[in-house]
Amino acid sequence: MRRAGPILIVLIGLAALFIDFFPNAAIPGGDPDAGGWRELQTKLGLDLEGGLRVEYLAQEVDGVKPDAGALGVIRDIVEDRVNTTGVSEPVVQTQGADRIVVELPGVTNPDAIRRLVGQTGRLDFVPLGSTQMTEGQAIDLETFPPLFPGSEVSSASIGQDQTGGLTVNFQLKDNGATLFGDYTRDHIGEYFAIVLDGKVVSAPRINSSIPGGQVQIEAGGVGGFPVNEANNLVTVLKFGSLPFPIVELSSEQISATLGERFLNQSLLAGAIGIGLVMLFMLVYYRLPGLVASFALLYYGIVVLAIFRLVPVTLTLAGIAGFVLSIGMAVDANILIFERMKEELRAGKALPSAVEAGFNRAWNSILDSNVSSLITATILYLFGTSTIRGFALVLIIGVLVSMFSAIVVTRSIMRVVVRQPWARRASLYGLREGEFVAMGATRPTSRREARARV
Amino acid sequence: MYDIIGKRRWLYVFSLIITIPGLVLILLTPFTNLGLQFSIDYTGGTRWVIRFEDRSVTPEQVRAVFDENGLRASVIQESDGYLEIRTEQVVGLREAPAPSLSPSASPGASPAASASPDVSASPAASASPGTSASPSPTAPTGNTEIPTDGQLGEIATTLQDRYGEIDSQTALTSIGAVVSSDLIRDTLILIAAGSLGIMLWMTYRFRDIRFGATALISLLHDVLVVVGFFALLGTFAGVQIDALFVTAMLTVIGFSVHDTIVVYDRVRENRARHAGEPFDEIVNHSILQTIGRSITTSMTVVITLLALLLFGGAAINNFIIALLIGIVSGTYSSIFVASPLLVDWHLWEDRRHDRAAAARGPRVRRATP
Repeated sequence: MRRAGPILIVLIGLAALFIDFFPNAAIPGGDPDAGGWRELQTKLGLDLEGGLRVEYLAQEVDGVKPDAGALGVIRDIVEDRVNTTGVSEPVVQTQGADRIVVELPGVTNPDAIRRLVGQTGRLDFVPLGSTQMTEGQAIDLETFPPLFPGSEVSSASIGQDQTGGLTVNFQLKDNGATLFGDYTRDHIGEYFAIVLDGKVVSAPRINSSIPGGQVQIEAGGVGGFPVNEANNLVTVLKFGSLPFPIVELSSEQISATLGERFLNQSLLAGAIGIGLVMLFMLVYYRLPGLVASFALLYYGIVVLAIFRLVPVTLTLAGIAGFVLSIGMAVDANILIFERMKEELRAGKALPSAVEAGFNRAWNSILDSNVSSLITATILYLFGTSTIRGFALVLIIGVLVSMFSAIVVTRSIMRVVVRQPWARRASLYGLREGEFVAMGATRPTSRREARARV
Repeated sequence: MYDIIGKRRWLYVFSLIITIPGLVLILLTPFTNLGLQFSIDYTGGTRWVIRFEDRSVTPEQVRAVFDENGLRASVIQESDGYLEIRTEQVVGLREAPAPSLSPSASPGASPAASASPDVSASPAASASPGTSASPSPTAPTGNTEIPTDGQLGEIATTLQDRYGEIDSQTALTSIGAVVSSDLIRDTLILIAAGSLGIMLWMTYRFRDIRFGATALISLLHDVLVVVGFFALLGTFAGVQIDALFVTAMLTVIGFSVHDTIVVYDRVRENRARHAGEPFDEIVNHSILQTIGRSITTSMTVVITLLALLLFGGAAINNFIIALLIGIVSGTYSSIFVASPLLVDWHLWEDRRHDRAAAARGPRVRRATP
């Protein structure tokens, strides 16, 4: 660790600087449509960016409450609809057992979005004749009149063909079965489409006449459907329209100008806060304070990098959490330096006092940070989205501060105390008589400094 | 050596004095309109922040328009000529149309056997690229749109007819009662879970229920101080608590135990080093050794919070104030509540042991009084 520590610190620092300041840096794992790369950026929440936030409640139908799967389906459907509006970076999340939260940055006309999202979806079975269509393609239902609506589907499931490849099977009700049977009998070799909200979900070719309403869709090629594709299709067939109606519970519109003002103000406040804490550490702890201030800058850079990597959506409360975590990040250093002073006063030589300071303060630091993590984790697990943002910031802050305040500070202090210029009592806020730079400890105070390790 | 522990009776009295008024107001909250004032996050309702081109429009004039529409509203003058209106919920809660497809009750009940005819299909290969028609994205502008629909739309029209144009709207929030009904219960559960978690952690780390339990009491002390303070502010200044309040409380719980840990850690160390000394002296000594750093660690946090409070804009001021009070109270309670309670618990158990020992017959007396 003595060897690897400094190298690790420098590498992490450089990586963080790169992530924070290199323009247009991107990492894998983004939207496959956009080439699979995600540009690294600091994400801002609605309260800082302005926009619309609407919370929906999925209502029960005939005494049946939506389960997690159904809620996920509703979420997907709502997201698809929101995406058709071209709003940039919409966020659609499930919350709790029956809530869907839609966040639309920059949206100023809530009613248009409301009409779209609240709408119940339409699933149609559309004969295409000899026209081929691809998934996701928009279809004009005037040109291609539907044969029957999605309500004719009675069930859908994943099946297997003779070679073990995945297929999608569904069962039609009587009316649909008759219509489909008649149609397929006369149109073998043509295409038909399953259409959700005017967009093609699947457009297979009719291979044979299908009486009785038991339908199987096979993917072309070997191996059948990929699992996720088959699941999607089954989902659409089962819940083409919203399986449970949703009602609007709450809505919030925040103007972009206000958000920008909040952002600037809280950044200024954060900068002032960091500056004051660093000043305080310098004045109060001198040379170790300088090292702690450097560690604090390091902390800030690494935390920001993690925010951009994860990515963490920064809200007003999140920035407050970050600023707060700066105040907490130096706490570990304060405990260490106080202990160090104590050990120096007790007659220990500087290098061993530094080591003792870190070793003895460790228990308190660990216990304190675990306590913070306990409450932050509870907030993260059970809070609403705003609260989760704050909690995540706090969790990241606590973890990184353990690294910066202990590993980083310690490595630098070890190097610093070996320098001849660093062996002056005044640099540590002590009097000459209380200070032993190197060599043996003062024998008079042995009792107090006796190690119990 | 200054004797803090010896004065613990007075410390208990002081803690009671600062917590009881708040506690009374908290307990009065459900029965009167005194005590905690809840924001629309908790009660449901609408919050609307607007500014008229004519900055001389008064809150009274706006409130009158709401009255005419049968809505009770509170209107507060904010900075920059903005008016903040709070009233019952008037937008939102639109029913979505009824579903056209009922959820399939028995998924996969009839698995299509391989005997069923196939609609084999290559999900149609080559085709023209998707020409997905998407409505043009809404252009982001500075302000949100002033409502035109529904009751609030009517009110907005009336307001503009009478007092001239509303030139800016910074926020329009509407929260249904369903959202809020869970919130108070959730808040209490979260606070209880956080406190319990920390008590268990402390008990585990110090291998002693007394350390965990006294830390818990000092946490509840801090919670009570902050909530009580906001009950006072609510009663006399109309300050409301919102959804962020629970966040502040849990942060306070997580942070205020830090100083307790520092003192207790030192107590543990001194107890091993000065075995045989009276427990109250050990604790007193430990407090004096660590009080400087307890105050310093809180001070750095207070510095950052003050920076946020003074320069960070008013939106989350209540949140910051709650944190500030909680952290100051946390430092106080670590030194002046948790540690004295720890001493009293020890002394009480020692006396009990002594009595038990005396009952069993003459034995060597324990070193602690």
